[in-house]
Order: sequence, then structure tokens, then C-alpha cells
Amino acid sequence: MPRSVDAEVVVIGGGPAGMAAALSAWEWGARRVFLLERNPHLGGILNQCIHPGFGLRLFGEELTGPEYAERYIEALEKTRVEVLTDTTVLEVGGDRHVVAVNREGVWIFRARTVVFAVGCRERTRGMIRLPGTRPAGIFTAGCAQYLVNIEGYLPGKRAVILGSGDIGLIMARRLTLEGVRVEAVVEILPTLSGLLRNYVQCLLDFRIPLLLSHTVLEVLGKERVEGVVVGRVDEKGNPVGEKRLLPCDTLLLSVGLVPESELLKKSQIPLCPSSGGPFVDEDFACDVPGFFACGNVVGVFDLVDYVTESALRIGRRIGENEGHTPPRFILSPREGVATLFPQRIRRGKDGFLYVRPKEGLRKARLSLIHNGKEFHSLTFPLCRPGEMVRLDLAQVSWPEEEGEVQVVLRGEKHVDLL
Amino acid sequence: MKVYDVAIVGGGVVGCAIAWYLAHCSLDILLLEKREDVCCGVSKANTGILHSRSYWTPGTLKGEMHLRSLSWFERAFRELGLSPLRCGALTLAFSREEARYLEVSTKSEETSAEAAILSPKEVLAIEPRVNPEIYAGYFDPETMVVSPFALTIALAEGAALNGVEIHCGKEVIALESSGRFLRICCSDGTAYHARFLVNCAGASAVRLAQNLGDSLPSLSFFRGQYFVLDRECQGFVRCVLYPVPTEKSKGILVAPTPEGNLLLGPNFEPTQGEDTATTREGLLEVERGVQRLVPDVPLDRVITTFSGVRPALPERDFLIAFSPSLPCVLHLAGIESPGLTACFGIAEYVGELLARRGLPLRERNDFRFRVPSRAFRECSLEERERLIREDPDWGKIVCRCEEVTLAEVKRALRANPPARTLDGLKRRIRVFAGRCQGSFCGMHLPRILESEGGIPVHGLQKSGPGSFYVLRRDEVATYAEVR
Repeated sequence: MPRSVDAEVVVIGGGPAGMAAALSAWEWGARRVFLLERNPHLGGILNQCIHPGFGLRLFGEELTGPEYAERYIEALEKTRVEVLTDTTVLEVGGDRHVVAVNREGVWIFRARTVVFAVGCRERTRGMIRLPGTRPAGIFTAGCAQYLVNIEGYLPGKRAVILGSGDIGLIMARRLTLEGVRVEAVVEILPTLSGLLRNYVQCLLDFRIPLLLSHTVLEVLGKERVEGVVVGRVDEKGNPVGEKRLLPCDTLLLSVGLVPESELLKKSQIPLCPSSGGPFVDEDFACDVPGFFACGNVVGVFDLVDYVTESALRIGRRIGENEGHTPPRFILSPREGVATLFPQRIRRGKDGFLYVRPKEGLRKARLSLIHNGKEFHSLTFPLCRPGEMVRLDLAQVSWPEEEGEVQVVLRGEKHVDLL
Repeated sequence: MKVYDVAIVGGGVVGCAIAWYLAHCSLDILLLEKREDVCCGVSKANTGILHSRSYWTPGTLKGEMHLRSLSWFERAFRELGLSPLRCGALTLAFSREEARYLEVSTKSEETSAEAAILSPKEVLAIEPRVNPEIYAGYFDPETMVVSPFALTIALAEGAALNGVEIHCGKEVIALESSGRFLRICCSDGTAYHARFLVNCAGASAVRLAQNLGDSLPSLSFFRGQYFVLDRECQGFVRCVLYPVPTEKSKGILVAPTPEGNLLLGPNFEPTQGEDTATTREGLLEVERGVQRLVPDVPLDRVITTFSGVRPALPERDFLIAFSPSLPCVLHLAGIESPGLTACFGIAEYVGELLARRGLPLRERNDFRFRVPSRAFRECSLEERERLIREDPDWGKIVCRCEEVTLAEVKRALRANPPARTLDGLKRRIRVFAGRCQGSFCGMHLPRILESEGGIPVHGLQKSGPGSFYVLRRDEVATYAEVR
């Protein structure tokens, strides 16, 4: 029979979010804390991110992904959090039973609290319906990053990168340094999708062309990619104007990330249509009592520091054990906002609101509106879809009356990079 | 020198079905496939529908083979260890004219006993997501769906289990007849000897016939493009949903699959040779066609697109005929839809034709049924526990989307015929076939295939020669050299 285990907290996923959540649960007094990770090592995607740039906000120094992960792995070693690696969770029930398998067998954890820290996955060729042939040589950027940085292989000799997300930009530089010719980074939007610093450090410094308002219209090649047809697109993404052939043997896709919310769906946790992840409050508690979610399964963060920061809030909430009260405010994304989280506010005393702008704006103003009245705002000279706006909830004085809060981003529209 | 009784050229569904059928008799059978694996051509990309008798075409060889095949289904599923999806089909009419077609087709003598014309209300009771503008529907309970890979590979494995030799990477280029037997020459210089040759080379059948000295009418190719939707869409529709067919094709349909995905397509367009590219226009056509049947079809859940090619003769019928020049060579050409459905009937018919020319068909008493490999994702918790206790590799998930374990990868590598490429693995155990399309398992599989299958990472191929997956660092110039 499958082995049954009573647990106070089960954290699913041993990346930055799960490690921080398990650690904070332990530090706030939880015992019988289990951290389940499907890979042989903790750290998640950080392990393949061998470039620096992590930890600037949290530690004030520039770490590589593995170095950043190591800090939390070491911290966990000082606790008695039970880490089960090579362990895959298959199912989570609404009654908080967690079914996992590893080489020892099937495990059923009966948990008081379940934390989903299962991250996100990359959008694929099928999801963007990229037409053409189906040869070898098409990789998501993260998959290629693993193959290069962990396995030590190269995806090809000559690459085109579709999408200017951060992993794509990082891989443009990485492949160039490995001797692969990166012909271009092609972005369907009129603006960069990733962080500006990645554009400067990964493309400009290596003179890799960035083709904005362009996309790959067709993949060519029978057995292996032989080239891609690239063309200009209008605002709706429809091809306009001339096309050209870029010969290459490799196409990397960096066309967005989506929360891996499949496990949550099975346990009937309500999901937010704009983020793709669960609705959460400022402590990252889901709408169903006893469930939390943190990190990129909630919505895709652009800095790991924010992932850690958000996940570290979970422990206190579990420790205080104050019960599951209905939220006082429901935040909904409106004009200028692509997505936001948390979408619920219970106390409103601390924590952060993360807002993803829909488009590039100059002289931007983020407004919180209740009953038609702006009760809090934040202004900044520039915002871009590639960089989240982060609002300190401790600064907000919330209205007396509970209810819906509309979150609006307004400003002068601009599509330039800088 | 070994002389086979029958050499079958082509490891598609027809070739494999013939091999499996003939393996019921005491014969030495050889199957030659030019690609690296079976199921790499026409058979790999179609809807996988097993059409019921309601959809047969009277007065054609296609129709005759289709009807013959029906009586084989249950026996074949049992012997091959296959479980088709017994979902039934609804043909949807949106006008009085279209409804008239339904009436005509039900008058045929061969329709299923339980088939019936339904009112809009009845249609919507079965399939609430059908376009409410429906005029009438025709329900056929006997339609089934299989995975075309699963069927073809099961036939190949069932054949191999009973002694059929399957040799991949063998392209037949010439034939010499010495009177008593044929000498079959392959492009890699190898040669085989056989008494009979059956040409089931699919898209290459006419070319092969020409190489052997026979002229067959030339094939034209029709392409059909498809969307595959996430397994989470399972249950969105229960039946196969057809439009009323046209002269040319069965139309753009919606089909549930045994794996839980939803298949949308195909459109129907002439194409050059075996061009299996998808196009923006073709996919849009599929989108519009499907939305006419089920307006709310969740097109945001597309996980991949593909297209399949159907090789057709000018008459749009199957051709199964002996070579005029070599009496022991049998050609099969133009096996388009419903070729998958008809494969058992074709195999039986081919057996009869060969018997008439002297092939002794003596049924053996030691024929072995294929025991299918378990799929971890289909097991209960207790079964999973038991499997892991027997072999801990069942507890290592290598593909999270389809919940495929290391044990299944190892079995696919050791199967007969074995998976040697990423596509071969995908067709056998569904790695790379889930919602991440190999973004995750594509990281870890190369190392596993190296250690468990003896396939070096830098020699790993997606689908055969030229389709390399990655390169070694020393195969690429260094940064300094590029600068």
C-alpha cells in the first residue's frame, strides 16, 4: 500500500519559491515540514542560470543562480525540513492530500497546509501556432539553456531567437560566447519583453540585432532547421510588408512563460484569468483554506528576489494560524494593467503588490481606485511590460469600506526602448 | 542464404498490418522500412478514426476493404492489446440540403443498426457544445478512435513477436528476379531474398514500382493540417463531430483521442510530394471549420499543430494489383483515407491474393498475443506502488506532462522494433507529446538515452539522419574564432 504521512506543511517544488516557503514555515514554528522536488537537486531553474544578476535587491550583491540557490539550500540544511528530491507530485486533493512518487514508492501526505511552488513553463511553438515544417533544432530558450549550461552541449551553429523575453536575451549572449552565431532576436511587439539591463548587456554589448515588430512567419527545413522566414507585423501581429529568409540551424523560443497551474486545477483552486495562476492574498494564501501558492505559479515575476520575498511571507501566516477570513479588498486589473498579484487584500498592513504594465508608458501613474475614487497612487518616469511595478502595501491607507479596488496605470504612451 | 516467403516494403499501418496478418501463418516474413523506424510516413499523421460501416464508399475497392476490416476489429484489439476510444460519431447538418445527405446515407443497407437521424434537441443533448444553429444530426455509435502511432506500432510489435523481421533504414531501390525468388537490393548495399514482395511504400509506392520496372498512375498528394489540444480539454466533446462531407474529403472535424487530447482538422489542400509543413492560411481554415461545428472550441489550449499527407491516385480509389512484369510482386498504392480503418481488410485481401499465387497460408497454433506495456499515468495508486516495488524506475517521472517514467523509457528502448529517435519515443510512450512539447523532458532525456539506450547525446536524432538534436562543443567554432 502507498505510505501515508501526516504533515503540517507540504511544499511542492524546490526552486527559490519553495525553498523560501519551507524555510519561513520552519522559522515561524511549523514542524513536520516536507519539501518535495522532482529533480535530483534543490534550486529549480536557478541551477541553470549561471549568469550573474541575482540577489541585488535581497542581498545587495550580484550572485549567479547557483550561488543564490546555495544560500537557501544551506539555510535549509540547518533546519529539520524534510527534503525529498527525485520526488514528483501527481495529485493534490481538495482535502489537502498530496500524492507523490519516487523510487521508494507512492506517498500520500495528509497535510494541514499545502504550498504550491511549482513554477512556470515556457510557451511553445504550438501555443504561438508558428507554421512551417517540424524539424529538429527548435528549442524553448530554457531547454537550450539547460542543455548548454548543465549538459555542456550546444543547440546548433547558427541561431535565431524568437521573442525578447529575459531567457531569450540571456541565451543570445550565452550562445554567442560559446561560438554560436546569433543572427537576430525577433520580437513581435513594438517593445522589448525582457529587462532593459538584459537588452544592454546581452544584445547591445554583443551587437546582436533586435528586430522589433517582427516575427518568424515560417520554419523551413526537413530534418533539421534550415532557416526561418522573418517579416514585419502590424499592431495585431498580422504580417505586413516584405519577408526575408534568415538561414539558421536553430530556433530558440522565448515567447513567454505560463504558470504551471495544472495541479491546482485538479484541487479546484480558483485561478485568475489574467495571471494564469491562483488568486492569492498578500500572504500568498489561495482562496481555499489551507492552500498557499508562491513564486512563478502565482504569476511570472521578473526578479527571483521578488519570488523569495513573496514566498517568505507564507511562514508567518501559517505560524499565526489566524484562520481564513474573507478578503477585505479584491484588486482587479484595469486600464494599462496586464496582470497583477496579489488579487486579494486581507490586512493590507504589509506586503507588496506586483503589477505588470500592458504597454510602455512615460510619466506613469499607478492608481488604486475604490468606488470611483483614487485612494492611493504611485508615479514614476517610465514603465515597460518587461518590468513589474512593485507597490509597498504598508504605504497604502485603505478605505474604511470593503470591496473592489480597481488598479489602473496611466501615462503617455511610448513605444521606444529607452 | 535465407529466402523469406514474403518481403513487405514499407512500415506504415498497411505494411505492418500485412506483416502481422501473415505472422499468423508459418511463414518467414521480412519487413523493410526506409526510415529509421516504423510509422514515419503517411501513417503517423492522421485523425486515427476507425470509421464504422455507416461511412463506407460503395462500389469501390476502398469500400470493400473497409467492410472487410470491420469484422477484424475486435479480434485485432484483443491480439494487439489495444483499447480504442469507443466514442461514436455525430455528423452535423446545418441546412435542409445538408440534412438530405444524412437521409440518403442512412438508407444504405450497411449502416449500423443503432444509427439514427437526430433533431437539434437530441444532438445538443448528446453534445451540448455543438453550434445551436444545427439543423439535424446523424449519430453513429460504432465509430472509434485509435492513436495511429499506437495502432501501427502495436501491429509492428505483434508481428515482430511472432517472428517477423523488421529492418529499418532499408530503402529498396532495385529488384532482380532469378525465377525462383527475388533479390531485393537496398540503397545501403544490402540485399535480401524473398519469394514474394509486397509494395506498401505509401507515398513512395509508385516510385518504388517504377524502380522495379512497373508503371502505375502517378500519385497526387493532399495535405491536411491539424491542431492538437491539451489533455485538459478531455470531455469537451464526447463523439467525433463531422460536418457533412464533400466530394473530396470528410471535412474538418473534431475528434477526441484515446489519450484525452482533442484533434481538430484536417483541411484538404493539394501539395507537392510529402510536404508536411503547416501554413498560417491552412490553420486559419481549420479554425474556421471547427468553429462552425463547435463555436466555443478552446483554441487557446493548442499544444501543437501538424499536417499529414495523403497519397491519392487519380481515381481516388485504392490500387492493389500484381505487377504485370513480375507475378510475385504485389503493389498497393493510393491507400488514403480510410486506409487506417481498412488496414486489416487489406491485409486479409493481400493474404488471399498471395495464396492464390502459391503462398501457403497455414495458420500456426503458437501465435502470440501482444501484451501492451503499462502506461504509468493509467495505473491506480496501488498498481503504481506495486510497479515501483518491482522496479524503482517506475518511480522516476521523466515527463511531467504525460507522467512517463524512466521504466517506460527503458522499455521503449528495448522494444522490438525499438525506439531509436526522439520521435520514436514520442510515438511509443508520449514523451514530447504533452503540453510542454519537450521543454522539460527535452532537458533530461538525452542523458537517459545515452546511459540506458547507448545512444550518445551528440548522436541523438529527432527523426533520423540529419535531424541531430545537439552538437558537441568541439563541433562549433569558439567565440574567439567567430570574432
